[in-house]
Amino acid sequence: MELRDILKKVVLLGDGGVGKTSLIARYVVNKFDDKYIATIGTKVSRKDIQMVKPDLIINLRIMIWDILGQKEYSKVRSASLSGAQGVILVGDLSRPETVQSLENFWLKEVRQVVGTIPSVFVGNKLDIADPESISATMLQSMAQKQGCPSMLCSAKTGDNVEEVFAALGEMLVADVRAQSAAKEKAKRPQTLAEVVDFIVHDFCVQYGDLEKAMLIVQHQFEDAGVDIRKPQKESVLQALDGLAKAEELSLTKTVARVNLEERQRMVILARV
Amino acid sequence: MFFIMFAAVLTAINVFGLFMVWQSSPTIVDEVFLMTTNGMLLKHYTRRLRPDQDEDILAGMLSAVQNFIRDSFDEAGGKLNEIRFENYDIVISHSKNVVIAAIISTKKPERLRTQLESATNDIEQQFGERISHWNGDRAELGEVDVLMKKFLAGKYRH
Repeated sequence: MELRDILKKVVLLGDGGVGKTSLIARYVVNKFDDKYIATIGTKVSRKDIQMVKPDLIINLRIMIWDILGQKEYSKVRSASLSGAQGVILVGDLSRPETVQSLENFWLKEVRQVVGTIPSVFVGNKLDIADPESISATMLQSMAQKQGCPSMLCSAKTGDNVEEVFAALGEMLVADVRAQSAAKEKAKRPQTLAEVVDFIVHDFCVQYGDLEKAMLIVQHQFEDAGVDIRKPQKESVLQALDGLAKAEELSLTKTVARVNLEERQRMVILARV
Repeated sequence: MFFIMFAAVLTAINVFGLFMVWQSSPTIVDEVFLMTTNGMLLKHYTRRLRPDQDEDILAGMLSAVQNFIRDSFDEAGGKLNEIRFENYDIVISHSKNVVIAAIISTKKPERLRTQLESATNDIEQQFGERISHWNGDRAELGEVDVLMKKFLAGKYRH
């Protein structure tokens, strides 16, 4: 299992008053305030997400830049947008003109400053607007045209807010996942003996204490009747359950489950 | 009269001595932030443990403040080189792809500036290109530690 720590810069853009700051507050600190205070300049927040994939755990740290939405302040906005690796384009579903300007103004600005980067179109204020409204339909069709996902949410109720950032998060780590998959494919063992060797090594590395880890492996292999010189799939699969139980205690349940599933897959696919 | 003159000379010598000690004492760096020009923190080094401080946000906001000041005062792309806050000086050095900000509390920022510029130039020369294409994986820039530790150890002092 590979562990990667990744840092990405994400910028929220959209007209003034669409709820960019509220979306960030809801996502980062799970709070909402009805008072509207225009963002002056830029505010940077941070959110950490852990993504558990087969063979890979990504600790993604998103630096979220909240930039003022007044269109006149183009220089500050361009400087803050520079280097962004992802963007959330936010429109207010109760004001169709703010949705329209996502394509007419904000997306153009993004393309001009940073080119094509992972983007999500978001319709905010779902608590006061109909999901079948003209704004919502317009948002979906414009996102589709640009090949980007679109989502409707409400910073006030919290509906779908996590999902917006999660969707962008997945897009942000796509290259990391592809890299890792290619690396993993290149080093993947083929025969059952190689697979067993790989699993034992992987278990010991993740457990940390080599001596203790080897004792656990030995014990589990003995219990399952694994003959290390001529391993059989059934007995190895049985031993994997025991290793997963040990990992539940030393690591976390989620990591143990992901490891177990991946190791089971490797054993099943291995040549005897 | 003689005693007054003598006391005055002694005081002058003491003051001069103290000044010389202050002058020759090294500038102590409290914290250093190595960042991209877009405000992404690559490395952070600190002499103090500050559990309440979020270094990533601080790096981002330092960059945001620079953007704001640049926009307000200089349309030709000037750089913010120093910020003073109470007892702290933040000395900032820039190159094409690298920004280093050092926080000091010993009141001699001018001493640090040339050291910081040398370190920035070395990092730019060796890592600038990689930093410009950096994908956010901090492990990829591990070797930059060697140069930063050289700076922190005072090896850029002339």
